[in-house]
Amino acid sequence: MRKTITVILLIIAVFVPFATSDILPVIGDPQSAPNTHVSDYYIEHAIEECNSPNMVTAVIVDYRAFDTMFETTVMFLAGLSVVIILANRPKKRIPAFSSLKRLKTADGRPVYRTINKDVMISVIEPLILIYALYVLFHGEVSLGGGFQAGALIGMTYLLDIMVVKRQRPIFRLSKAGSAALAGIGPLIYALTGIVTILGGGLYLEYNKFPLSVHQAELHSIGITAVEIGVTIGVAGTIITILNALMERTYFDDDND
Amino acid sequence: MMTTINAYLAAKGIYMLTLVLLALGVAGIIVCNNYMKKLICMNVMQVAVIFFFLCLGQKYPATIPVALDSAVKASEYVNPLPHGLMLTAIVVSLGTTGVGLSLLLRIREKYGTIEEDDLIRREELMNRKAKNGGNRK
Amino acid sequence: MTENIPVLIILLPLCSALLCLALTALGRNLGIIVVKLSCLASFVLSCFQLHMVVTGGTIHYAIGNYAPPFGIELVIDSLNAVLLVCFSLIGFLTMIFAENFADKKRPMLVGGACAETALLITGLLGMTSTGDVFNLYVFLEITSLSAYCLISLGGSRGVVSAFRYMLVGTIAATLYLLGIGVLYSVTGTLNMGDMREILSAGGNERAMMTAMCFLVPAFGIKMALFPFHGWQPSAYTHAEPGSRPLITGVMGKVPAIAMFRFIFCIYGTEFGFVRSFLLIIGVFSVSGMLYGSLMAMGQTDIRKVLAYSSVAQIGYISLGFAIGTPVALAGAFLHMMGHAFMKGGLFFCTGAIRYKFGTTDINEFGRIYKKMPLTCGLLTIAALSMIGIPPTAGFFSKWYLALGAAQEHEWIYIAVLVISSLLNAVYFFRLIEKVFIRHSSELKDRWQSEALELPVSIIIPIVVCFAAILGIGLFNVKLVDILLMTLEGVGL
Repeated sequence: MRKTITVILLIIAVFVPFATSDILPVIGDPQSAPNTHVSDYYIEHAIEECNSPNMVTAVIVDYRAFDTMFETTVMFLAGLSVVIILANRPKKRIPAFSSLKRLKTADGRPVYRTINKDVMISVIEPLILIYALYVLFHGEVSLGGGFQAGALIGMTYLLDIMVVKRQRPIFRLSKAGSAALAGIGPLIYALTGIVTILGGGLYLEYNKFPLSVHQAELHSIGITAVEIGVTIGVAGTIITILNALMERTYFDDDND
Repeated sequence: MMTTINAYLAAKGIYMLTLVLLALGVAGIIVCNNYMKKLICMNVMQVAVIFFFLCLGQKYPATIPVALDSAVKASEYVNPLPHGLMLTAIVVSLGTTGVGLSLLLRIREKYGTIEEDDLIRREELMNRKAKNGGNRK
Repeated sequence: MTENIPVLIILLPLCSALLCLALTALGRNLGIIVVKLSCLASFVLSCFQLHMVVTGGTIHYAIGNYAPPFGIELVIDSLNAVLLVCFSLIGFLTMIFAENFADKKRPMLVGGACAETALLITGLLGMTSTGDVFNLYVFLEITSLSAYCLISLGGSRGVVSAFRYMLVGTIAATLYLLGIGVLYSVTGTLNMGDMREILSAGGNERAMMTAMCFLVPAFGIKMALFPFHGWQPSAYTHAEPGSRPLITGVMGKVPAIAMFRFIFCIYGTEFGFVRSFLLIIGVFSVSGMLYGSLMAMGQTDIRKVLAYSSVAQIGYISLGFAIGTPVALAGAFLHMMGHAFMKGGLFFCTGAIRYKFGTTDINEFGRIYKKMPLTCGLLTIAALSMIGIPPTAGFFSKWYLALGAAQEHEWIYIAVLVISSLLNAVYFFRLIEKVFIRHSSELKDRWQSEALELPVSIIIPIVVCFAAILGIGLFNVKLVDILLMTLEGVGL
């Protein structure tokens, strides 16, 4: 049975490219349909309408901002699902990490001596955070944006947890706290749109922010607010997944 | 003859590669017995579609879609729309993979295996046990 | 403010779901209350929107005020508006109902499951109202991800079925993405209306056929159409009991609406090959109607009976698409609404019986009507509606389907419709017999001291579903008129 399906699939795999290749546009053709109709408008109007030289940013957080809002929600949803599936039984807790004995070499020193904790925390982490902020606020001007910045902030937290001993964390979020934080990020995004509704416009119409500055500035403010929401959401999600893995419990919830 | 093939490959070859990748992913999901391998094949499949969309956005004498000065000509920059769309698709694929891996952990804890035929056997065993228990009650 | 209603209907459950966890950390029940209120508000707004659409015509809402092919657009025609009312109502009822099945000792789990259900509602409402093909994909993924999680909450067998559903569902989503990729490569747009204009100019038939080859299996998997239904019975059986009415009642219908949009609104019936695809869908649905009913007869777990009967009922909906006349399409959409309440209602009953007695085996239901008269009333009326007894919703949808088939002289479809209804009668009368006539077995009440039959939060959904099944049946002419406002333009 399986082998028949496989053979059929392989036949399709051989034939579909030949059958479909003549209806698809030539690679790199500037006159093909996907490269002319809507995309020309985006490229030519991104600067004047959205005040954003980075056209991909203009597309994802201005022209198609509604998609990106739900994309951030998908991140939140993934983090929340991982917590619920893996670590929702506090009673039968079998800590996966605290019971681990610290590995030692033959002469009794811990094996991770090669990583210097002081250097890690006092030098590298601030640099990563500064870089994250740079990526966040330059997303509309050059390459970068909320997702990358959020990932960097989440990685800083991860580094912190890995290096510092469990007893003395510098900054520690609980499972519920981090999941709530991951939810607040997309909420900031959604509320940005609601503010524009209150300003008398349509949803996510950045021109209608109730502020008295130039129209191009309004778009920048809108994009930045949205990117901050995305950053918080992504960082929260990474921390949530980390918490879910660290507080993983073995449980059996068959009830029928 | 060779020039025809070369011209065809230059114009359309990449689509064939992405579609073969897609077919490999689907075939892997159906043929593999191990759930982890199925999950990896799922990822291969999603990456194939991402490549397919990015191929559509390519233009030849063009650069990345970040405006270099205020006067912009459409033919000088690649199409930004597929890149934006695929950012969403990547995040979705990440979320699906995360949820899939955590489900896999739970399956491994409960049944002690992630091989499909083993799992089906154990499920049947559990069903029979549950039925016998119900009768005794 | 009124022009923002289409987006507010989607946003209210979304915002409450995002806030839910933070509020649950503040106060134990705060999050759940906010989610319930927002679902209620969403229902009220969608009723108001239906009124606006019926009096003022189709609403086009351009998000960000960018003209349609450049921005994302929400399109609310009379069809969407009616379905949004139904779906948001079932979402609200499920939110009330789910509270009884939550484990109060674990606030994280309660808040999390509540947020997941609210996000599922968001995804379903969004998929119904969007007018952009890629936006549809994003909503599809939100729906699927929250459904995977809710299914996996139902114990370890739920986890296995969720994983299998995830593999199959991801194939469906990928095929959908590939299909819209092919369409995008020939049209250069993602907006449904704009795509329709470019495609109807002709010249792209082969690309359209290729895209359709990807799209039909994609939607078929998501709506559990017959040969693609493999994931469905175990997923419906083992899903989390609180949110099961929403998953079973609404989740299979919404991809069907998307399929309708692609076949009739984007492609249009003037292309010759669309008829061949309709014929294929017809064959699938006819075999699904027979297969689902036959499989349901052999099951003893009521959840499995209802899950297999869903395979058959989805076949009725796609049969309406396969016939393709406005009357048959109206029948399909009427069945979509009716079946959402019937299957939702039957799962509310199953949940109530399980809540009170802790069993789902049909053979233990002996004379349960003495202990739970209200629940058994809904069980009976929903079962009769499934079979198609006159004053209920099920009869009228089947009537319109048969009428449409007769207009097109498709006698085989009518024959299968009758046979499948008779098979339905066999297993639903068996259920009714167990409930009313068979001698009682010793069922232990798990909550002895209740004054009422059940908590109020279970009674409300049961009563509303009861009223809705009869209401859709009695006011079917009015509903079909509203549906035909849109369908007259797109049918065969």
